[in-house]
Amino acid sequence: MFCGIDLGSRYVKMVIMRGNNIVDTKIMDTIRFYKEYGRLENGSLTVNFAAIGINIPPSIVATGYGRNTVAISGATVLAELKAHTIGAAWQTGLTDFTLLDLGGQDSKVIKVRSARMVDFDTNDKCAASTGRYLENMAQVLGIQLTELSDYYQNPVELNTTCAIFGESELINKIVAGYSLPELAAGVNLSIFKRIKPMLTALKSDTIVFTGGVALGKAIKVFVEQELGVEVVVPQHPQLNGAIGCAVYGGENYAVRD
Amino acid sequence: MTKIGITTTVPVEIIIAAGYEPIDLNNIFITSDEAAGLVEKAEEAGYPRNICGWIKGIYAAVVNSGNVNKVIAVTQGDCSNTHALMETLQLADIDTIPFAYPYDRDYDLLKLQMDKLITSLGTDWQSVKNVHRRLRLVRQKVAEIDRLSWQKNLVSSVDNHYFHVCCSDFNGNVQKFEQEVDNYIQSVTNASPHSEKLRLGFVGVPPIFTDLYLYLEQMGARVVFNEVQRQFAMPYDIADIVEQYRSYTYPYGVFPRIEDIQAEIDRRNIAGIIHYVQSFCFRQIEDMIFRQKLDVPILTIEGDKPGKLDARTKLRIDSFLEMLS
Repeated sequence: MFCGIDLGSRYVKMVIMRGNNIVDTKIMDTIRFYKEYGRLENGSLTVNFAAIGINIPPSIVATGYGRNTVAISGATVLAELKAHTIGAAWQTGLTDFTLLDLGGQDSKVIKVRSARMVDFDTNDKCAASTGRYLENMAQVLGIQLTELSDYYQNPVELNTTCAIFGESELINKIVAGYSLPELAAGVNLSIFKRIKPMLTALKSDTIVFTGGVALGKAIKVFVEQELGVEVVVPQHPQLNGAIGCAVYGGENYAVRD
Repeated sequence: MTKIGITTTVPVEIIIAAGYEPIDLNNIFITSDEAAGLVEKAEEAGYPRNICGWIKGIYAAVVNSGNVNKVIAVTQGDCSNTHALMETLQLADIDTIPFAYPYDRDYDLLKLQMDKLITSLGTDWQSVKNVHRRLRLVRQKVAEIDRLSWQKNLVSSVDNHYFHVCCSDFNGNVQKFEQEVDNYIQSVTNASPHSEKLRLGFVGVPPIFTDLYLYLEQMGARVVFNEVQRQFAMPYDIADIVEQYRSYTYPYGVFPRIEDIQAEIDRRNIAGIIHYVQSFCFRQIEDMIFRQKLDVPILTIEGDKPGKLDARTKLRIDSFLEMLS
């Protein structure tokens, strides 16, 4: 059994695999995870897997935003982009593609050839192209994130660079009388516009789209329509990094299973 | 000795020939214990938040120094923010002297700029040429440190960076700096070679991050080529001082730099390039040219204020090194 953990900025994702099968998954709020299930021992984070409701796995591979600051006790650390590349290749069976991962504070674009990362780009210094921006905008519109991320028709134009000022711009559009679907589509389009240069620079015929944002259909539609490429959303977009970790563990530590 | 501040590399031979002590204000800023505080001081004085940290650091370093009353500001060939830096320094009663590298690398125009600086500081060409000869000997020794870096693997990333950036002002004391260089070469000659497997090049202005080189080495990589820093040291050993500053690639647009970088990538067997860009700097645009023209993987990292690498930049570095290995 192998456990993959992706310590994201918004959620901690865990995947347990046995052989080639996913047998258990967990998605937990990051703050809650650290507060309730982790404690620092000798500089390493010890996780109370029993309290989470997971059988203690013999082999853990961890990745994610938190791994720079918190090393999980007993875990192998995997570079985040590598974890996502492995996860996407395993989930889709593809070897040549561009991976677009939109997470809580991250936008990642990874060019993959022969199942190996050959180039990448990520957002830097600004998180206006990420899931957190969508969450804020959903709150302004008074709808759930899942609903917001489905609208793509007749988008209103939103130009503000800053995600926070974007809220007041959206409010102005509400006052101007635009409908909810148009406003939500505008929010989704503004995300697409921010990632489009990265995606264009590292484009492939097939885009694999992962991260929590891939759960909605709007960005997928924009990428397909604007770039003229096939977009594949794997079965578990949000768990992709954790799956990559578990697969990596399986490949590297199979002898110990 | 009266100090003269410089905003970037200028023909330092002229300053020394005129009997002044050159002080590279970038080095004063970044090596200050209060580097981050200097940026804040500039912002308190009215500098916008979305302006280069180096410009703000230089401004505050001068205003707070108490002993730098004259500054040579490079108004062409470095960055246009220097114009406003110069003007705000004038507002603070600092005497400023402009120096402009001609964009088209015209020999006569460059010589004219040097002529004007010579007149302004009250020296003459013969004295400048004498200092030039003296500094060539030191520059040759720094070039030897560079050779020991990439050919013999005896020099750490940060030491290579340090000795090159010091050549903008020779730490204000040529003799003392030369002694430091001699001692260093002697100390590494019989040392064990570094064993990092990944050989990197560093391209762009010197990083505002204080621990970049250390982190790269911790992660198993070593910088064997510091592009702009090496240019600060004038690596080509040219007898004609005007030609020396004409061969200096940094102030003249990106394409001469690319020729230099590509040649060194090949010569030094470099696996990947770290392109450092400063937040809000026009040179960020040039990243697209590097990516199109250079044939090795490039990671672009951006720094704003002085301090240690942030978690996000570390994450990107980790992934880049993972990709190269």
